Amino acid sequence: MGHHHHGDHHHHHHHDDQAVELPPTLDTAVHDEELSPAELSRRSMFRRTGLLGAGLGAAGVLSGTATAAATGGSQGKPPAEQRTGKLQWLAGDHHIHTQYSDDGKYRVIDQARHANAYGLDWMVVTDHGTITHAKIGVEKVNPDIVAARREIPSTLVFQGLEWNIPGAEHGTVFVHPGGNEVSTLKEFENAFDERGKNPNDGVPANEALAIAGINFLADAVRRNKVRDALFLANHPARRGIDSPHEIRGWRDAQPRIAVGMEGAPGHQAGGLKAPFGMGKARGLYDNNPSAASFPGYPLESYRTYGGFDWMTSTVGGLWDSLLAEGKPWWITANSDSHNIIGDAATRGPDSNFEANGRYNDPVYGGSPDFGVGDFWPGYYSRTHVGATGFAYSAVMDGIRAGRVWVDHGGLISGLDLQLRTADRWHQSSTTIGGVLHTRRGTPVELVITIDLANNPNWAQYLPMLARLDVSQGSVTGAAADRDTFTTPQTKVVKSFEVGKSTGTVKFTYSLGALDKPVYVRVRGTDGNRTAPGLLGAAVDPSGPALDVIGDADPWKDLWFYSNPIWALPV
Amino acid sequence: MTTVFGLDAGSGSLRDADHLIQEQRDRLGLPPETIACTHFVRADRPHVAVSFQLPHGSSPDAWWEPLSALGIGVSWEGRRIGPVELSTGAADAADELASKQGGRAVVYPGVDRLVGEVTVGQLLDESAIDRVVVLAGQGEPAPEAVVHTRDHVRPEWRDGQLTLMTAPAPNGAFVPFEVPDPTPCCADHA
Repeated sequence: MGHHHHGDHHHHHHHDDQAVELPPTLDTAVHDEELSPAELSRRSMFRRTGLLGAGLGAAGVLSGTATAAATGGSQGKPPAEQRTGKLQWLAGDHHIHTQYSDDGKYRVIDQARHANAYGLDWMVVTDHGTITHAKIGVEKVNPDIVAARREIPSTLVFQGLEWNIPGAEHGTVFVHPGGNEVSTLKEFENAFDERGKNPNDGVPANEALAIAGINFLADAVRRNKVRDALFLANHPARRGIDSPHEIRGWRDAQPRIAVGMEGAPGHQAGGLKAPFGMGKARGLYDNNPSAASFPGYPLESYRTYGGFDWMTSTVGGLWDSLLAEGKPWWITANSDSHNIIGDAATRGPDSNFEANGRYNDPVYGGSPDFGVGDFWPGYYSRTHVGATGFAYSAVMDGIRAGRVWVDHGGLISGLDLQLRTADRWHQSSTTIGGVLHTRRGTPVELVITIDLANNPNWAQYLPMLARLDVSQGSVTGAAADRDTFTTPQTKVVKSFEVGKSTGTVKFTYSLGALDKPVYVRVRGTDGNRTAPGLLGAAVDPSGPALDVIGDADPWKDLWFYSNPIWALPV
Repeated sequence: MTTVFGLDAGSGSLRDADHLIQEQRDRLGLPPETIACTHFVRADRPHVAVSFQLPHGSSPDAWWEPLSALGIGVSWEGRRIGPVELSTGAADAADELASKQGGRAVVYPGVDRLVGEVTVGQLLDESAIDRVVVLAGQGEPAPEAVVHTRDHVRPEWRDGQLTLMTAPAPNGAFVPFEVPDPTPCCADHA
């Protein structure tokens, strides 16, 4: 398997970033009239199923399919390197704060050193958008980031910001390094950040401003101002203010820029029992509906389940309702690191954030702080990205392509999913985030290969994967109601008992002969805390349980989640 | 026939609306049987309105003048005063309480006794709350189960019943769903 082994940070990254061309059928920049009749017919099929222009053709998805098909040969399956398309799985975190956040404390190098030590290959610095940050911090943080890139070459350090999405929650916005990274972020923040700009123009105007911000990022890439840009929604269900139609609106405005959301929020230590914890909620998800929240969301949506956001943890819920549209929307898991539990550093004395755009460097405070709820980047939450090389652009391409799986507490070390035709002589295959194109009636199977934990995690114990669940749903096309947040046809279709901590395990789930588009995704658990899913035991007999406020030990409730793979029979 | 009226001061948060309720209850000297609720107004500028239900035989006349003097939206049995945006919010709030289909109760009979720890049975017997339900499809807790009230119990009208949503707490106890001091969106934790 091509996954990345942690502990080995001496990467040999010699891949150049290759621009992956979309086939003309999937490239919406190519007009219908420019296509051959055969291409046009194929595009019509994509359009009918909602898969056109959705970014599914991006990066390695189609090239991976082509590679596997070309090397299928007489062995009946391609060699391991080609099954994963020679991907390196790079662990990272796109949600990290520093002393340039109005609620932050650490230096950039503090975060980068810990991220590197805990095994992260990439990280994004996302200080809060504020008037002060837009004016001072967004520029002043850049030399610190540039220095961290130099000092810690084996962890890629992106500059981004945590956008206060007008009328909604926060989101990570980040760009590829380059001469205009700062000016682009600064211009974005001044024009589109709710706190930086404080628009207060009412709901429709705010929602339009959010879309305009995403369009601005796409335009900056189109004009080569920055090489790439991405936006992901953070802690989306925390306060009920990311409505389903807003999420669909972001995704549909720029599917290559607005690509996903946190499946699991940060602040995972927030539920540890007092006095050696905050005694609050995992993710600090302890809010309730407000006038600004989406009225359709149930109270359950304001809490976490096995540490994951309700949108993701509910089988058949909001995330699945997006995937059932046949459009990509990927999940990640991050630290949201501001203040590390048990750390004795305190914010620098005599700070003047307003004047300096940052707090002074932290100092030793003399006693560990258990009244905070975060872990260092890489310590508990990881977002694993299948990248074609160790490069900024490869990480961004991998995220955009949905070659992403996430885990908590080092539950597993490597995950390879291959959705493939079960017909030996016409075998094609694709991995996480991809689309398997098959002929109608061809049997399809999902092959799940997992490198178990094999090593202790950062709480110094060896996690055990107890069980895997495969969820499957039908692709039913664009939702008629943009505020839809359930889909009736997605459910857990197969579970595998594992009960091991070391070695590699492999399972195959047969989807049978397909006559309509479907998707599958996989999750796994240590089995410590489970409950019937919120949409019923028939949908999810043994899903993540509601986290208890005041007593939620994140190390005793570990899950991993993959992103989906689609199968598209024609 | 009870008497229901609505007020809308454009409150930006539940906390502000709770304060408006308590302030007006005290100022107007409303009877102890009064029920007062908050209601979301999901207009272009989302905010919170409030409603009051007075016991049988209460006449609006005694309170009309002090309410008119507030300069906020007021709606009482078809009579409205204040800016139209606010008087509409007040009317909607009053309608919601009258139909018992919505509204989060801040003031209700027995609320003063729901402090510290109480059992589910006590909570049902000693207050106007009709029903206790556990979040995430976990049914109704046993009468002897303990509820840590945190001195903040805000039941909601659901299908005509004043319903308290609760969540599991450590050691088999329960807590009301609504946390008294939820983590603000950009907490300055340090």
